[in-house]
Amino acid sequence: MNPAPSSKAAKVLSQAQSLRWELGAQFHEKLVESIYADAARLADRAVTRPDGPPRFDLDRSIDRLVTSRLWGVPLMILLFALVFWITIVGANVPSRLLGSLLIDQVYPWLRDTALQAGVPWWLRGLFIDGIYLATAWVVSVMLPPMAIFFPLFTFLEDFGYLPRVAFNLDNVFRKAGAHGKQALTMMMGFGCNAAGITATRIIDSPRERLIAMITNNFALCNGRWPTQILIASLFIGALAPSYLAGLVSAMAVVGVALLGVGLSLAASWALSRSVLRGEVSAFSLELPPYRPPRLGQIIYTSLIDRTMYVLWRALVFAAPAGAVIWLVSNITINGFSLAEYIVTFLDPLGLFIGLNGVILLAYIIAIPANEIVVPTVLMLTVLTARVAGVGSGAGIMFELDNEADTMAVFRAGGWTLLTGVNLMLFSLIHNPCSTTLYTIYKESGSLKWTAIAALLPLALGFVVCFFVAQVWRLFVPA
Amino acid sequence: MSTAPLTPAHGCETCPSFRPAGLKPLGVDATNWDYVVALAGNPNTGKSTVFNQLTGLRQHTGNWPGKTVVRAEGGFQFGGRKFKLVDLPGTYSLLATSPDEEVARNFLLFGQPDVTLAVVDATRLERNLNLVLQILEITPRVVVCLNLVDQARRLGLQVDERRLARDLGVPVVPAAARYRQGIDLLLQTVHDVATGKTQCRGYRSEIQNQEVNRAIDPLVAAIQEAFPGLPNARWLALRLLDGDDRVIEAVRLGEFSEPSPTQASAALASAS
Amino acid sequence: MLHCALQTEPMAAAVSPAAALALGLLAVALAAACAWPRKGLVARWQAGRRGARRVRAEDALKHLCKARFDGLTPTLESLAGAMAVSLNRAAETLDELQRGGFATLAPEGPRLTPDGERYALSIIRAHRLWEQHLAEHTGVAESEWHRRAERQEHFITPQQADSLAAGLGHPTHDPHGDPIPDPERGYVSGAGQPLTRLQPGHWVRISHIEDEPEQVYAQIRAMGLYPGTLVRVIENDAQKVRVWCGGEEQVLAPVVAANITAVSVPEAAETEPPGTMVLSQVPLDRSARVVRLSPRCRGAERRRLMDLGILPGTVIGSEMESPAGQLRAYRVRHALVALRTEQAALIQVAPLESAAGTPRSGEPSLHEPVPA
Repeated sequence: MNPAPSSKAAKVLSQAQSLRWELGAQFHEKLVESIYADAARLADRAVTRPDGPPRFDLDRSIDRLVTSRLWGVPLMILLFALVFWITIVGANVPSRLLGSLLIDQVYPWLRDTALQAGVPWWLRGLFIDGIYLATAWVVSVMLPPMAIFFPLFTFLEDFGYLPRVAFNLDNVFRKAGAHGKQALTMMMGFGCNAAGITATRIIDSPRERLIAMITNNFALCNGRWPTQILIASLFIGALAPSYLAGLVSAMAVVGVALLGVGLSLAASWALSRSVLRGEVSAFSLELPPYRPPRLGQIIYTSLIDRTMYVLWRALVFAAPAGAVIWLVSNITINGFSLAEYIVTFLDPLGLFIGLNGVILLAYIIAIPANEIVVPTVLMLTVLTARVAGVGSGAGIMFELDNEADTMAVFRAGGWTLLTGVNLMLFSLIHNPCSTTLYTIYKESGSLKWTAIAALLPLALGFVVCFFVAQVWRLFVPA
Repeated sequence: MSTAPLTPAHGCETCPSFRPAGLKPLGVDATNWDYVVALAGNPNTGKSTVFNQLTGLRQHTGNWPGKTVVRAEGGFQFGGRKFKLVDLPGTYSLLATSPDEEVARNFLLFGQPDVTLAVVDATRLERNLNLVLQILEITPRVVVCLNLVDQARRLGLQVDERRLARDLGVPVVPAAARYRQGIDLLLQTVHDVATGKTQCRGYRSEIQNQEVNRAIDPLVAAIQEAFPGLPNARWLALRLLDGDDRVIEAVRLGEFSEPSPTQASAALASAS
Repeated sequence: MLHCALQTEPMAAAVSPAAALALGLLAVALAAACAWPRKGLVARWQAGRRGARRVRAEDALKHLCKARFDGLTPTLESLAGAMAVSLNRAAETLDELQRGGFATLAPEGPRLTPDGERYALSIIRAHRLWEQHLAEHTGVAESEWHRRAERQEHFITPQQADSLAAGLGHPTHDPHGDPIPDPERGYVSGAGQPLTRLQPGHWVRISHIEDEPEQVYAQIRAMGLYPGTLVRVIENDAQKVRVWCGGEEQVLAPVVAANITAVSVPEAAETEPPGTMVLSQVPLDRSARVVRLSPRCRGAERRRLMDLGILPGTVIGSEMESPAGQLRAYRVRHALVALRTEQAALIQVAPLESAAGTPRSGEPSLHEPVPA
């Protein structure tokens, strides 16, 4: 570059700078105004609008209905209850089918084949009992509900209904310092927290988006529902007369889910007033026109973009977890497995806060996927409590068809009603799974917020379990 | 002069396997391109849908503003030429200072794409033209894709795209990208502008405010003296008066020279 | 060695639950006492760091510099007052400045040397840039800007100030309307005169509000007066200053009004239509024309509203209310945009006469809401 233009450039810059002092701060706005006025003029020339108000405005009529004071909220509850009902009922059968295929048929076949092929026991154990079983478990528990939930949700999204839900619920979230759209990311979180985190992209205000990401974990995801249902029916349902047991345990699970919603709001409130106080906030919520949904597109995006994507990430994280589970149960020192040492080490802390060492170890191993918590807990309990005749060996996760058998294992592990209650609470309030954490890191691009999202619920979980345990012991004599 | 009907939709135009004549989607394989096409537009105008239709990729789209967060790139082949398509973040304007707008602005200014494809929502033309007018300040080589005309028709709006094209001085192509309508003509138009077969005039918005005009005129003269032949001197003057640091820096370093083929790729690298 | 794993609750038996509960509550209380925003121990410790020597010296320089531009003569007493330290400490600091070559002790009082003035200006620049940064790029409440900038100004190097300015688009004024000293131009004093000296009947635009003392500043803010606000002076005498602002009358004590600087804008009388209100007050199914966005609306929030096309002259129709309240959907340039009540309160509008909101001739026809 020759020097001549740069001296001219310097002249341009200094001229611009003095003009800026003369123009003052109003310049930017005058400019925007001027461009918009021109855009309005051109648009007006090109667009012919119908004379007078249309006889029937469909969008407006739908809007009036779905946001009406009388019908808006009941309609919304009904619609979402329907979505969850279809998901739970519809997922049951394929989940069982997948489970029996992958765990009851493919798994023994794999073992036998490997046995006949003369694969060494440790290799068999690591890959088939550890890695294969863990991933099979994750697939059979996770895939069916997601494959049903996400297309239904995407249908509502494509149609344009979801922004109206945010519109209806915004005030609740406003009071918590959050955005109305957080209602939707939370709803996604009931399907899968990682998908919920990705969905926070729809919140374009930076502070509210961070809040939605950090608190999404309090939405009970479908990997945790089975734990809740099992423990509730074993421990809480058993308290009620048998004809009420089903209802009582269902109420307990719903209670935990609602507690999650409450905690999510409370955490949002606390965050927006403490660490996130200085973050930029700029609320806006557009209500786009309704569009006829396209079924092909919906199925494609919900299955490929959401279900498969989340499933893939979960598998990537679950496979090593399976290996770790098998290893800690099969590496032995002085006749005791590594798992037993760790459980013994964790037991004092676990029991102090009303859980036990097995549960804590299961949660450490199961950071990658909450789906494998119950099978891991069962396996570890059998291993450490030396229950005879149950399960399939060290490091092999299992579930029992019979509730009474499961209860017997728990009893042998020294479980009480308090353990059950605290496990339900801890399952709701602990660090997000590694898939979710990874997604938070990808979306926020910040280690700091990822760390907060991991540690905040974990610390809260310990605090809650601690207080419940102490109060329990104070009022319920052992 | 009513809404001109789209190319008559025969049955197979809407089925997924249909491809307009001559379009060869290249997906992410966008090597050795002949032309760079920037895809700009407001959030929730169907920009991602247009992108997917052209490249055969499947970005997630949804009835929300602002689904695309990461900038995507793809390629397609049409009329024997290879095009690289760069999906810019959806923005409402190029004036303010959000990171998204900065990425979009920097690419248009320093990447100097051969064609800028502006996707606008026919049902909210006013707000969308606000962005188009700002793009036209930077470059006249623009093709406007008047998307969602099916929506507009449903709402009883008639958009006269010929008048709009005359007013803006650039081609305007009506489309309903969700149903693959108008993509054919869009490709042809982009091709024609890229190869220079169609010349764009590029309307420049009048600035109404006299105070602003008094400040701009001498500054534009000074810029033209310093950088002769610059197509967007007025826009630069406006950015300088707004204290835009990236533009100040560019003027200081004399970055406004003749466009070179490597510039677009360098800007691509620096923008990501 | 592992048999203890099979025992139940060894530790729970060792610690009484009541004691554990008490300890737990104590731990929670302690954590809260440490981390509580502003009143917590961590926050207090941070505030305590202000007492450092360099910080005192810089505060003194700032005071001497401001006094010079305001045409006042600084004294040791005024210095001690501005720094909030004892006279001894102030004298000590002044002595240090003199030894460093930043100030001289003239018979009429302490004065800055050219070096001292340059130093002081760089501190003032850092302070005002930081305030602008807080206003534009963060969500920090307005009442905290000054306090935070007072702390931050001592930790910003001139290089950091330059890059801060670049990121902010080289601002000329801070959010209080104070000019930001420019490294090339030096101190540029602001235009305008104190509100107490302006004649009744005039339309004026507030150009600057002094942010010290804090109580007076808070009082001015509570009245809805911000730099950029248009006000009409109704009455101005030794007892009180009455002004018309944002559809309300405000009465200010002369001491308060003296902290407000304003410039006369005669043309404003025409742009202020009668019956101006804020958008949140417009009833459902009625339309209004935007007069202006309140100067209180800044940064990302203001840009967002402008991006959505909410600008002077835009016709906005109020369409639906959220069943939970505090949120309404408005028709803005054919798009349906939901705004919270506190946002809509930042948009000053003139309601349109007829319910149908027929636009006046010659103007772009915007939305025509359906009558209820």
